[in-house]
Amino acid sequence: MSDRVIAARGLTKDYGGGKGIFGLDLAVNKGEVFGFLGPNGAGKTTTIRLLMGFTRPDKGSAELLGLPCFQQAPAIHRRVGYLPGELALMDDMTGREFIRLMADMRGLKDLGRARELTERFQLDDRGKIRKMSKGTKQKVGLVCAFMAAPELLILDEPTSGLDPLMQNVFIDLLLEEKARGATVLLSSHLFEEVERTCDRIAILRAGKLAAVETAGTLRRGKVLRFSFASVDDAGAFAARVPGARRDRERVDVTLTEPGELSALLGLAAAYPVADLEARNQSLEELFLHFYGGDK
Amino acid sequence: MLCWPLFQREMRANCKVMLIFCGVFTLYGAVIISMFDPKLGDALNAMAASMPELFAAFGMSNPGATMLEFLVNYLYGFLFLVFPVVMILILVNRLIVRYVDRGAMAWLLASPHSRRTLALTQGKTLGLLVLMLTVYATVMCLALSQLMFPGALETGPFLQVNVGLLGMLLFFEGLCFASACVFTESRFSLGVGGGLCAAFLLIRMLGQVSEKLDFLRWLTPTSLFDAYGIAAGDPGALAQTGLLYLGAAALFLAGIWRFSRKDLCL
Repeated sequence: MSDRVIAARGLTKDYGGGKGIFGLDLAVNKGEVFGFLGPNGAGKTTTIRLLMGFTRPDKGSAELLGLPCFQQAPAIHRRVGYLPGELALMDDMTGREFIRLMADMRGLKDLGRARELTERFQLDDRGKIRKMSKGTKQKVGLVCAFMAAPELLILDEPTSGLDPLMQNVFIDLLLEEKARGATVLLSSHLFEEVERTCDRIAILRAGKLAAVETAGTLRRGKVLRFSFASVDDAGAFAARVPGARRDRERVDVTLTEPGELSALLGLAAAYPVADLEARNQSLEELFLHFYGGDK
Repeated sequence: MLCWPLFQREMRANCKVMLIFCGVFTLYGAVIISMFDPKLGDALNAMAASMPELFAAFGMSNPGATMLEFLVNYLYGFLFLVFPVVMILILVNRLIVRYVDRGAMAWLLASPHSRRTLALTQGKTLGLLVLMLTVYATVMCLALSQLMFPGALETGPFLQVNVGLLGMLLFFEGLCFASACVFTESRFSLGVGGGLCAAFLLIRMLGQVSEKLDFLRWLTPTSLFDAYGIAAGDPGALAQTGLLYLGAAALFLAGIWRFSRKDLCL
């Protein structure tokens, strides 16, 4: 048995108008938590649909657990926990009935784990799904995905709708699943989410795989925005800092090494600084930083 | 080839739709059967004589002398076809179209059951609900006519007519099911099947209005359901009923075949 849990070669699904994915190669090994990062519309969900066997590729091939995704979907799904991105449940059921139905359809007799997860997410599953908030529905979906302790978890934007507290519960749970030996594919458009859990991160952009990096390599820099009293001051400051970007009296500087900070602040002190903001690099900025901005 | 937990859930969730239509059937059944009374029937016949085309369009031009002919004329020509088609559309929407449209189908597909099993499960639910409705209609008519006019309804031929009705309804159901499986956008997946059923029923109505439009009978599969012929035990009419069952089976199989292969963007 190979340790390759997810394998895609030249995977292509063209929806026309530049939408879809094009020539995607993926390889995820057993026990890995693999992040799938990209802006909306980058092709994350398209890839997941192909992996789940909901659609068939135009070109290329995809295998999960050594089996072809479309042809062997039922055998694969026995061993996979899946959370759809566009969460739609059966509205006329209560959360508990739905969880029960999903367990029965999997042939899962023991609902102990489902109950444990329900408690951890502080989910009240007695109400009708129709009346549940987005976050509550998301919790129902997460219970269904995790309850069978599957070998592989495919989670499409798993924390959408969850409050920060529940996001932390989710991350703890994911790390436990990893410790248990499960393989995870997690898609997200939020860097923080994948940064905290993933061993490797793939960046998807306009349907193509832009990069696969280990989480350590993809450390994000900070962007500092200095606002000066006058445009002249901003210009003089920007001229002394390599890589600074000036827009009128504002100057953006990206820091990637922690040591650069005090030197920069010392430099800025010579000018009348009106305001200073700091934020993390956005996904797009990170991408530009890594790959030189050629689109 | 049945996903039992799903089947149970769908029967539980959709039984009430069928029960509502059982109620509608009871209402019309009771009114029509009570009209068999010669005194009331005369009034109905006088009304039919005053607007023969309209009654003919609804397949009600031949009330006949027996309870069997009377029921076939007033119930099996139109009412017992149209209401079930409405029910079938509601059920197909609830069992397939809505799941695909809203995305809940993703959960079913992600289960360890093949698409064929899932489609077959939904198809069997549809078939069973229509069977239950037909059985109810049969029992209800038999009971009410026995209650109001003991001995007036010939049981054997009436049962045959209902076997024919079931064939016709399963055919409509197969059409709607196949349409729901073939098309992905909900307006087509419901619209094509429902539209065809409505068109076939309209063509049938037009064809019944006058001799000149009689050729229209060749354009609609509803002509295969010949209730008078079935009641009389005519072999041709019985063979046509067989064709309806075969057609229904073919449509269901085509739907399942397509559903097992198509892309589902969930």
